[in-house]
Amino acid sequence: MMALRLLKQAWPILGLLLPLALIVFLADQFGSISVERSVTEGLIKIVTVVGLYIFIGNSGVVSFGHVAFMAIAAYATAWQTCCSALKPITMSGLPDFLRSHTYPVLPAGISAATLAAAAAFIVGLVLMRLSGIAASISTLAALFILNVVYSNWDKVTMGTASIVGLPTYVTPWVAFACAGLAMVIAYLFQISSWGLTLRATREDEVAARASGISVYWMRLAAFTLSGFVMGMAGVLHAHFLGTISVDTFFLGLTFITLTMLVVGGMKSLSGAVLGVVVISFVTDILRRMEAGMSFGGGEVALPAGSQEVVLAVVMLLVLIFRRDGLTKGREFIWPSLSRQTGSGDVT
Amino acid sequence: MSTVAQDGGLHARDVHVAFGGLKALKGVDLKLKRGEVLGLIGPNGAGKTTMVNVLTGFQAATSGDVTLDGRSLSGLGPRNVARAGVARSFQAARLFRDLTVRQNLEVAGIGSGKKRKEARGLADALLDWIGCGNKSDLLAGSLPYGDERRIGIARALALSPKYVLLDEPASGMNDQECDALMRLIAEIPDRFDCGVLLIEHNMQVVMGACRRVHVLDNGKSLAEGTPAEMRANAEVRRAYLGTKSDRGQLI
Amino acid sequence: MLNFIQVLIDAAALGSLYALVALAIGLVFGIMRLINFAQGDYLTIGAYSLVVPTASVTPPLLFGALPWPLMVAAVLATCMIAALLTERIAFRPLRNANPATLLISSFAVSYFLQHALMLVHTGRPKSVAIGASLAQAIDIFGVRIPGLQLVTMITTVTLLIAFVILLKKTAIGIQMRAAAENFQMARLLGVKANKVIAFGFALSGFLAGTVSLLLVAQTGTLDIRMGIMPVIYAFFATVIGGMGSLAGAALGGFLVGVTSVLLQAYLPPDLRPFRDAGVFALVILILLAYPKGLIPSSASRERV
Repeated sequence: MMALRLLKQAWPILGLLLPLALIVFLADQFGSISVERSVTEGLIKIVTVVGLYIFIGNSGVVSFGHVAFMAIAAYATAWQTCCSALKPITMSGLPDFLRSHTYPVLPAGISAATLAAAAAFIVGLVLMRLSGIAASISTLAALFILNVVYSNWDKVTMGTASIVGLPTYVTPWVAFACAGLAMVIAYLFQISSWGLTLRATREDEVAARASGISVYWMRLAAFTLSGFVMGMAGVLHAHFLGTISVDTFFLGLTFITLTMLVVGGMKSLSGAVLGVVVISFVTDILRRMEAGMSFGGGEVALPAGSQEVVLAVVMLLVLIFRRDGLTKGREFIWPSLSRQTGSGDVT
Repeated sequence: MSTVAQDGGLHARDVHVAFGGLKALKGVDLKLKRGEVLGLIGPNGAGKTTMVNVLTGFQAATSGDVTLDGRSLSGLGPRNVARAGVARSFQAARLFRDLTVRQNLEVAGIGSGKKRKEARGLADALLDWIGCGNKSDLLAGSLPYGDERRIGIARALALSPKYVLLDEPASGMNDQECDALMRLIAEIPDRFDCGVLLIEHNMQVVMGACRRVHVLDNGKSLAEGTPAEMRANAEVRRAYLGTKSDRGQLI
Repeated sequence: MLNFIQVLIDAAALGSLYALVALAIGLVFGIMRLINFAQGDYLTIGAYSLVVPTASVTPPLLFGALPWPLMVAAVLATCMIAALLTERIAFRPLRNANPATLLISSFAVSYFLQHALMLVHTGRPKSVAIGASLAQAIDIFGVRIPGLQLVTMITTVTLLIAFVILLKKTAIGIQMRAAAENFQMARLLGVKANKVIAFGFALSGFLAGTVSLLLVAQTGTLDIRMGIMPVIYAFFATVIGGMGSLAGAALGGFLVGVTSVLLQAYLPPDLRPFRDAGVFALVILILLAYPKGLIPSSASRERV
């Protein structure tokens, strides 16, 4: 029965991983290139939104600036793996060990994500001292700061120009492995003591303090961990597209990933994943409709830019009518335990 | 388990609290000993909750000092006061609604420095004691009022504190529930080796559970003694005159 | 020396604008615990109402063509209506939501408004000329002050004074302050929540309209994103100034605006693009020293 107990504990994760694995398998075997690309994109979004969830879902504090950590990691991996010929000219401000060397992709990716985590730790040291709302707005400021700095630091980031020519090694299976890793990290965190106490601070900060919890350190821990996962997302993004630019990691991406998290359900890991699936589906349809679809005799096309408007409306509707999102903040639970089990884990 | 005789107690000395021009506490001296239940009563606005907030680090005293076994608690925030051994429950329960009942207590156990398994074991034991053992997997937000109160008390006790301050746990309870609560509270000092400060309006509970009672009125200490002495005290009666009739009123 | 005074005047003018935006943000936060990202978009909507919705970068004027008192009234009305509509449709159903939800919803409303505007007007910046007569400089004690800066500062001071009077002396103002202090209690005492909140939003729309007119007169351009920066600055202003404190918000806005202009004028040229980053960093530093803001109000303290 030990095996059954372990299975029940791991079910929320397995219940997400298995269907995803199936989708990847099908896409890989039978799907066209464009389907494979869509699936990979979706998996990278999963890593991103799971990264957001680790912090926002557990702490209840909204962060508008998290994609900044994606940017940090994306550029960090680009500096290490790209453009060996042009780097000394286009990115002459880089230190020697970056400018004159190229590194293998795996260590580059890991170090880039670690750099993002370090940045998150440092930013978090400061920001977590602030109250919820002030912290949230400060994360937006942090994103703006990053955008301004990276857009103008021509010698190191090529400013607003794109860096092209990164090695593209992200296949659907690579993306799946990373998504799986991100989800496992998120899950282990939320069933740990740290995750539990952080969730308590989300529910009632006052009572949490009275129960001996340090709101500051718990939030900082989650912020750093989520910074690492956002870093992973940034690395994946960079090596999937093969090109990066500062403006990708700004308000548009922030909005769509937040929408995914909110629609799926901010308080659960399943919510994060489900949100990505649902919104990816919706945006795919909208994209096609903007491009034009044949209806009956003629062609019908939505004006360009409707996608964002529809998404905003969807987000608001969910917030108004189903605040905890599609999953209502619960995880996918082993059927026999479906009665009122608490958040975070299966007991 | 430490001997009661060695403890200095939870001691508030000459505590003043002023909010701008409004003086909530005007020099209150209060001593809570381990192993006893001390009631804190007084008419509305007397400063009882402010006193609890000062004792638990939620409110800084404008002047005066709070010591725990001789060690000053001034300037420590609520978290550190809790870790030092002073726990509290809230008037509004303030449970972690989206966590299970057991998890609510586990969190406090973890907050007091226990390992996860130990915290969980203590949580189960406490829940059994208050009679909510069969509800441990339910979400705290789904419970009826009376259960919420008791779980709030259990959560405070999950910190294994030296002193626990209960802020009006009986409000909104009927006679039966009050009775049960009263018996639970009376058990705390011996069962958990801690001192209890009980703030209550409900005199039935105060009389039944407290060995001594401290009366506050208008931010000042009015009297202290056994419940019977307080019932007989003319000044105390006068402080309560004109207030709405509570069940089990003094007079 | 004269140049320094010029810079100071510019700083004061921009500071005043930001003070007005911060005031609006602080007002809505006070009565609803909502940080309204859409405030910047009310501003943008007001600005765009000056022109006819077309894809052109030099569009024909709509309200902008009216004689100036009518133009001002039309723009103010547009902003107020926009504010009231968003309150009624998006924010009222969310009134009791937790702060995180409110914050995200206001982000969504803002995003919606921006992109809806983009659908109608396209995203390219447009040029608009209004208030040309204000460009003339007026001589005061030997200093040439552009008419526009003067109007900006006078408008701001007048509005601030009017605000103080409104909040302290009128019935609705007192009700708003009561609601800001303790919403539940105010309702119990008979303050009509809907009326007070609607009034607050209308006021914030009014302020948005004022700022949009002054901003367009100043810059001569319309940009979908024109509301974002003032509003981001305004948030910080509100947070530095102390959330829930209107005086603090105005003060914070003023400080932020002044800092921004001073940095622009006195930073060495290659550091200038980093000016915004500098302002934000400064804000974060101030918040570290004063987590509750410079003038914290009791609204920011939670009852235990």
